Amino acid sequence: MLKIPDWEMTIVWYFFLGGIAGGAYFTAAIADNFGSARDRAVSKVGYLLSLPLTLACGILLIADLGTPLRFLNMLGAFKFWNPMSIGAWGLGVFGLFSLLSSVLSFSTSQQMVGLRRKLSLVGSIFGFFLAAYTGVLLSATTLPFWGDSRLMGALFLASGASTGMAAISLIMFLGGTAAGEGWGKVKKADRYSMIIELVLLAVFLGLLGSAARPLTSGQFAPLFWGGLVGVGLVIPLVLEFVGQRVKAVAALGAVLVLVGGFVLRYVVLMSVQA
Amino acid sequence: MARTLAMFTDVSLCIGCRACQVACKQWNQLAPEEPEWTGSYQNHPHFTDKSYRLVRFFEETDAKGQMQRWHMMSDVCKHCAQAGCLEACPTGAIYRTEYGTVNINQDICNGCRYCVSACPFGVVAFNHDTATATKCTFCNDRIHNGLGPACAKACPTESIRFGFRDELAVKAKQRVEELRKLGYKDAQLYGEDKDGPLGGLNAFFLLLGQPSIYGLPDKPKLPQLNVITDSLLSIGAALLVGLGALVAFRDRGGKGGA
Repeated sequence: MLKIPDWEMTIVWYFFLGGIAGGAYFTAAIADNFGSARDRAVSKVGYLLSLPLTLACGILLIADLGTPLRFLNMLGAFKFWNPMSIGAWGLGVFGLFSLLSSVLSFSTSQQMVGLRRKLSLVGSIFGFFLAAYTGVLLSATTLPFWGDSRLMGALFLASGASTGMAAISLIMFLGGTAAGEGWGKVKKADRYSMIIELVLLAVFLGLLGSAARPLTSGQFAPLFWGGLVGVGLVIPLVLEFVGQRVKAVAALGAVLVLVGGFVLRYVVLMSVQA
Repeated sequence: MARTLAMFTDVSLCIGCRACQVACKQWNQLAPEEPEWTGSYQNHPHFTDKSYRLVRFFEETDAKGQMQRWHMMSDVCKHCAQAGCLEACPTGAIYRTEYGTVNINQDICNGCRYCVSACPFGVVAFNHDTATATKCTFCNDRIHNGLGPACAKACPTESIRFGFRDELAVKAKQRVEELRKLGYKDAQLYGEDKDGPLGGLNAFFLLLGQPSIYGLPDKPKLPQLNVITDSLLSIGAALLVGLGALVAFRDRGGKGGA
């Protein structure tokens, strides 16, 4: 007798792009702060990617409202225990960090670079938040499967990380900056994220047990097993190990990771609302 | 805060006439809807954005599938003391009145629909005409003018009663005792206990059997209780992922320039 919120493709896209934006930003921040000078390309791509995506996120969220002109009403309340409320605030604050980091990524002055690095460490917190909160938002509902999953936020975060890193590596490949050591490092980081995601997914399903049925059996099962587990995680990981030296193969892997990230959001949202 | 008001719905007195459903529609000026045939007298199958009161019809069967008896229950928003919809509302449109009831300010709601997914009873509905969330208002206009809700006023058998919560609770407990003496062994109150699930319901019920017979959850839970655990687990994942990236990017040759 429960009701579904009718969150459809706009929200699937929002969850997907928000994950990439957050993941790309904290990857950039880590590369900026702890990488070498040669990793500059990674951090620049990451910062600059997060900005338009965050903008797109805001537009998608506003478009999905029943009364879009009232979107500012979201800022009429601040409920720290409510993912939707802190999500609206968090997205705004993250956008600000993304903008500042993007602007500062063009500067070479030592002072500005120092400022950018410090800023990005704080901004990363919001990047992690943006990638994860959408999962917690779903688990804080009364609907079966969503409300039963304790690791939805963690899973979305790992997926945000892997898709964010995949997006960075893909842009570097397409932009011809995949030659340096930064590309190898971001691919390596992506590999770790995918492994973490795969492990989290296994634990996620284990904890859910029969509550995971909307995902694991029924009409969304082929998409879940084939699209997310197969195409989105296992095949890219295999490609990483067999085709590491061939850049085109690695780029193909990145595309598959992005497809998997989209499929994850799609099956999670749609299976409960089908 | 004024004294908490409540509605007490006694299913043992319900005759399924749906006067409450009609009175609610009339007073609240809710538009007509196409009937939905589900093979039962019940119409509609669920609460809608235009049906805030809903008489449910249930057929109780025994283990062999033999029809035992009819259950009729006039269902409504529970106006929970701990309301999932209210906690989920990011705009503050959903608020608690001085009488303890839960209401949606239609001028503030922006139609995000999070409340729809946060109600443990599937009450809140999205209205496509106004593009906002709607539900029973406990006849907010009437109670602020000394009148009871339209449904309670219209009920011909006093199955729906309106009054101060503490007084109704006493009457409800007496009624359970009466029914048990008459042989209704499973007669029980649902939502009356303030120490029970959701801090008690301000629209509570007397049921003649287990809540599940009436499609009600045995232990409705506030969905926001998941937030702390899930956030901590997400932070754990963030540390793990961050550490992975740190290992991948760490600079073996000391920090370089810009």
